Amino acid sequence: MQSMPAAISVTGLIKRYGDHQVVDGVDLEVQQGEVFAFLGKNGAGKTTTTEILEGYRTRDGGNVSVIGEDPATAGAEWRAKLGIVLQESRPLGALTVKETLRLFAAYFPNPHTVDDVVRLVGLEEQINQRAGRLSGGQVRRLDVGIALIGRPELVFLDEPTTGFDPEARRQFWDVISGLRDLGTTVFLTTHYMDEAQVLADRVAVLRDGKIAALGTPAELQALRGDVEIRFTLPPGLELAALPALSSQPRLTGGEVRVETTAPTADLAVLCSWAEARGLELPALTVERPTLEDVFLAISGETT
Amino acid sequence: MNMLVEQVRADLLAFSRRPETLFFTVFLPVIFLVLFEAIFGGQSVTLAGGDVIAQSYLQVPAFMVMGVISASFVALSITVVNRRETGIFKRVRGTPAPAWLLIAGQVVTSLVIALLMVIVMLALGSFAYGVRVEIGHLPWLVASVLVGAIAFSCLGMMLAALTPSTEAAPPLANVVVLPLYFISGVFVPVESLPTWLGNIAALLPVAPFVKVATWAYVPATTMPWRSLGLLIAWGAIGLIIASWRFRWTPRRD
Repeated sequence: MQSMPAAISVTGLIKRYGDHQVVDGVDLEVQQGEVFAFLGKNGAGKTTTTEILEGYRTRDGGNVSVIGEDPATAGAEWRAKLGIVLQESRPLGALTVKETLRLFAAYFPNPHTVDDVVRLVGLEEQINQRAGRLSGGQVRRLDVGIALIGRPELVFLDEPTTGFDPEARRQFWDVISGLRDLGTTVFLTTHYMDEAQVLADRVAVLRDGKIAALGTPAELQALRGDVEIRFTLPPGLELAALPALSSQPRLTGGEVRVETTAPTADLAVLCSWAEARGLELPALTVERPTLEDVFLAISGETT
Repeated sequence: MNMLVEQVRADLLAFSRRPETLFFTVFLPVIFLVLFEAIFGGQSVTLAGGDVIAQSYLQVPAFMVMGVISASFVALSITVVNRRETGIFKRVRGTPAPAWLLIAGQVVTSLVIALLMVIVMLALGSFAYGVRVEIGHLPWLVASVLVGAIAFSCLGMMLAALTPSTEAAPPLANVVVLPLYFISGVFVPVESLPTWLGNIAALLPVAPFVKVATWAYVPATTMPWRSLGLLIAWGAIGLIIASWRFRWTPRRD
């Protein structure tokens, strides 16, 4: 790791708006070639942090280095190494995909060809369509194309798939996976855990301006290693009628949930209890919590 | 240089593909000239010096000025606000493109459209209404239109900097400009205005522009140096306020 300097290095980052400390001492390091996901609820400070890294906003404290420079003072040469997809921005609706990419290519010293980028983001069939007539997913892919045209070393994507249907989201994920293959570092903010799980090498969860958890998706998942047994409570039964288990069952909306570290023993007790009474436990499942559950727990939402 | 060519090319393309701006900027001044010629074309006006000329000699340059102001002031301010509020400017500021490029793209685009308006009006005046500019006065006309277009581009940037939202941009631009057309010799000859109103209008930016452009058609009076100076001064005021209040990012940021 010491052979390559980090793509992004942040220590003690602070940003205030009035009395409110939106970013409250964030530390993080993103390695070159890594896909790093930055998660958090709306208002957790994701976009503020990202826009400080991109050089759009000033900070009130801490050290920031992005590909070797401080974004607050870096110039055009530094920006030539970045690709930025903003959370809210639309390309010019009157220009076609090709015209838009051609214009942005002119801003960079050593751009990709328009055709290469169009292929990369899968807009071959829309190349001569005006941006104003593209679907939401296609516009976002054009946005990524604009971010890629200058051969960036580092790409920022701020909530790129918000409002997508599942199909569009999958297509978009393919594009991001393609970036990884090119060796591009990707800094992605999202509030979809499944997105981070599919795409990211490492994930940071931001809560109230602080990093609440940081690690690979598998490491984060291990933070809540319990297995959950779920089934629908058979009609006419109370929760109290269930046999004693290793942990207290909870009842939510007619569904019994048992978070357990001893699933085999608990299942055996439960099943023999049910069989002895001639009961069937409807919708019986045993599940590891998804990363989504972990995220919701860490980011401060209740399941 | 290549960057600027690409920027202007893209800005002109975008402009030409927006039917509403195309109508208000290019066609409306032409429609006005045709209508005014149909109604007042046969009349004549007595100038301050006592000369009597056909009203067409005042109307053609007046609507030419309207076309230039539409392109440089109205269309420019609406476009700039729109680019700012939709995040397009913010996005380009995240690339190595220098800030001046975006301003230059808008100003050069409005200059190109302004020159197009001049050509259309020159041709219309000459072939349809028999109102000609002497060859010797053409350089003055081109120079005054360029000065006026640049001054009104600066004022357009100022208006854009003061406009809060995309929705507010078209009404604001028109509220500023329409009354000025009435009191500055575009819709009504200045000779028929009450003196006090004419005096006020003479200090505002539209009347000096009309006066400077009209001189190319009616060189009977003295050279309008004072009006030219006033026009440049207004441009400078616009530039100062614009650079003081200008922002690249949307208001909500």
